Amino acid sequence: MKEEKEKKEISRREFLGKAGTGVAGSYFILSSLKQAEAVAKENPLQPPETYFGNIQVQLTVNGVKHKVRVHTNTTLVELLRDRLSLTGTKVVCNHGECGGCTVVIDKKAVYSCQMLALDADGKDVTTIEGLLKGEELHKVQQAFIDKDGLQCGFCTPGQIMSAYALLLNNPDPSEEEIKTAMAGNICRCSAYPKIKESVAEAARLLKA
Amino acid sequence: MNNPDVNKHVRGESIFIDDISLPAETLHCAVLDSAFAHAGLVSINTNRAEKMNGVIAVLTSKDIPGENQIGGIIQDETLLAVDEVKYIGEPLAIVLADSITNARKAAAYIDVEYKKLPVITDAREACKNGSLIQQPTIFESGDIDKAWGECDFVYEGRVETGGQEHLYLETQCAVAYPKEEDKLLVLSSTQHPTAVQRAISRVLGIPMSNIEVDVLRLGGAFGGKEDQATHWAVLSALGAHITRKPVKLVLPRYQDIRVTGKRHPYSSDYKIGLKKNGKIIAFEVIYYQNAGACADLSPAVLERTLFHVTNSYFIPNVRATGISCKTNLVPNTAFRGFGGPQAMFVVESALHDAAEKSGISYQTIQKSNLIKDGELFHYGQTCENSNALKCWEEAERLYDFIQIKKNVDEFNQKNKLVKKGFSIMPVCFGISFTSSFLNQASALVHIYTDGSIGVSTAAVEMGQGVNTKIKTIVAEKFSVSSDRIKIESTNTTRIANSSATAASSGADLNGNAVLLSCSNILERLKKSAAEELVTEDKSEIEFADEFVFVNGKKTELTWTKLVQKSYMKRINLSSHSFYATPEIYFDRTINKGRPFAYHVYGTALIVVELDCILGRYKLDTVKIVHDFGKSLHPKVDIGQVEGGLLQGIGWMTMEEIIYSQEGRLLSNSLSTYKVPDIYFTPQNIEVNFLEESINKFGPFNSKAIGEPPLMYGIGVYFAIRNAMKAYKKNLVMDYSAPLTPEKVLMNLFM
Repeated sequence: MKEEKEKKEISRREFLGKAGTGVAGSYFILSSLKQAEAVAKENPLQPPETYFGNIQVQLTVNGVKHKVRVHTNTTLVELLRDRLSLTGTKVVCNHGECGGCTVVIDKKAVYSCQMLALDADGKDVTTIEGLLKGEELHKVQQAFIDKDGLQCGFCTPGQIMSAYALLLNNPDPSEEEIKTAMAGNICRCSAYPKIKESVAEAARLLKA
Repeated sequence: MNNPDVNKHVRGESIFIDDISLPAETLHCAVLDSAFAHAGLVSINTNRAEKMNGVIAVLTSKDIPGENQIGGIIQDETLLAVDEVKYIGEPLAIVLADSITNARKAAAYIDVEYKKLPVITDAREACKNGSLIQQPTIFESGDIDKAWGECDFVYEGRVETGGQEHLYLETQCAVAYPKEEDKLLVLSSTQHPTAVQRAISRVLGIPMSNIEVDVLRLGGAFGGKEDQATHWAVLSALGAHITRKPVKLVLPRYQDIRVTGKRHPYSSDYKIGLKKNGKIIAFEVIYYQNAGACADLSPAVLERTLFHVTNSYFIPNVRATGISCKTNLVPNTAFRGFGGPQAMFVVESALHDAAEKSGISYQTIQKSNLIKDGELFHYGQTCENSNALKCWEEAERLYDFIQIKKNVDEFNQKNKLVKKGFSIMPVCFGISFTSSFLNQASALVHIYTDGSIGVSTAAVEMGQGVNTKIKTIVAEKFSVSSDRIKIESTNTTRIANSSATAASSGADLNGNAVLLSCSNILERLKKSAAEELVTEDKSEIEFADEFVFVNGKKTELTWTKLVQKSYMKRINLSSHSFYATPEIYFDRTINKGRPFAYHVYGTALIVVELDCILGRYKLDTVKIVHDFGKSLHPKVDIGQVEGGLLQGIGWMTMEEIIYSQEGRLLSNSLSTYKVPDIYFTPQNIEVNFLEESINKFGPFNSKAIGEPPLMYGIGVYFAIRNAMKAYKKNLVMDYSAPLTPEKVLMNLFM
């Protein structure tokens, strides 16, 4: 009974909120692996271990530790979307040519359609869903709203993750550095002028 | 106010069709498409595929319960091929399986026997062979045969424009759910829910009323989901109808690019005649449109081409012939601009050519021929409220053309291997569907008892911000907080018989319908408020900031209280309204009329920088004065101008569709088909609003925005060409777009 009650009470968002408070003072939600593990034990929403495939991988996604069984050819984006229901990460070209599936691993922007789930074993992955602190938007997300850096929204999660990775490594990027970091993300609505402004604005907000 | 979807987009929480969580019993659909561009279908054997792991059913044309026909304008397109295939990518069969992996694997085990037939990929060759979609259409004004005698200069030439892949980031997709009896709910990524509903009804042989099509949002469309979303929605509906299980169909990118139509390539011949002072006297043009294998929207696209023959110019004598040629390519379709850009590129090429040959400057010819009030478009409509010259002069004033041109010349004198090029691109684009009957829309507005408001229209949100605009209209009309307003999904049970969200008309048509609904409810609420406040004259009642005002004085009566009181008095708090654009008509027997409610104008100034050794160019400056009317939402509108511009530039420069002689698409992925990325953003980009533009046809005097800015991109072609000319004085080169870096080099050095 107690477990059931917990299930009702702990939403994913609340959980992320908890993980977020663990790193107060940091701009970023990613907590250390240890903290995440501690919270993950309490997480009743963790998927069962018996998913399709026969190879087990362990990875941390947005601060939550997951044990999942995968096929040898399962890609990281398939794992995120189909197994973990993190559908913010989009499949656009599935060929590593557009950036729609960008996530962040080890402070680097990674095309999750080009990484096998097997290769994500032991990794700490941040997706667009991991940027929120509870209900509070991450500064990069806020900047994309403020500067209107999007139209249809389909490329937006990937754009934001690329910008997030850039600013993790380079808090004060030049225009040229912004372009280089964002060049792997196609926006067919061509909101590029505003995307450029959004990334610059995000840098400003993060410094403030 | 921001786009209501923006918050969800940045959180990754917006639901697109591929993100919907589905019942466990859902079947996944893979489509087998034709391997040859033209062949007889000797046999389709599904035996092996049916035995594959996880396969529930394999369906071919034989399994279609109704009519195997999805053609919109002309009934010439089957859902699944019967005894002949006419292009590579034509659907032959579908596999329904427990997972998408199993479905796709099994599709490869369907055995198809083809008998190859001759392939035509070129429009002119098709025309020579009499392979046409319909009889040629001719638009004519003045007396062109006589006019040539009055000209001081007459030039002729040939112009080519390539296709363009939409590359909406969300590929074509749909989910169909069987409901009670033979009813269906279909979620489709379409710009035209009613077209989907109509086609499903026909193919399954069930009434339209049994089919509910719902559209939440699209991950981009650009015309590519106006007609061409239908095929995939109908296939998923066919699967759901037969298996009585939910069926999901999402095209993988490589298949989407292969099997869906693109912007029409055109090949055109022109003849232009001018006076010594630069006045254009006569213009004759023949457009060979490469329609592909079926009509799709080609006749309508060609018609819009014929309406935009003269771009922003007044030309007294015109003869334009449009020939829609049937080839063995994927049926080409709507793409932002809808045939208008192709026409404008031809007339600009003709002007540019005439300028080079006559010695009159290109800009002089452009400016001195801009259309003025009272002059006639070649299709008989009188030009009213022309902003062609106003936009040009405002751009001239703001951006100082002469100085910029001087800077470019100085740069070119100083630099040997890097050259700059300059051009001006005026745009005049007609607003309204050219088939007058399509210019209708309806809206359904509900006010709930807590004062919140639900709004349904036929407008489909695909990133263009139409929902934001509709929200703005409702908030302004009711004078309530936008937080109260919810824009509902686009649904055929709430809004019936809708037109596509296309032709830049989404906000105009649906916004006007919404205004009517709001006015109806407002009248009732005013009467109710007058009763509450014991005022005799309801005209004294006004609403502002969520309160009722009498004679300009704020009362205690809030919006919510008034709504509740009105409900208790049994006052109707809902309104369904219908809007049809007034004053428009077009007589296709003579090709004359007043097809457009109004025109949108603008002028762009463009400077490019060309590396003459590498053939690479970059966009130095694009500065635009655009006629927004009174913008409903400046932020959204600026986004549309910048996005449209970049798409237009892509079409003119880097986006090159290449087919093999066998009709196979070679530029079939993002590695071979390049679209603008962030590096392609102009270094200096500036958009200014033309002041004092009026428009009685748009909600709150606004103007349509979706398509017109795309055509500013055409100016980039001429800017690059001028930079090439600065490097190579004796440059002789066809007017052929896209002008890829490769083509630049070939023309500079071969």
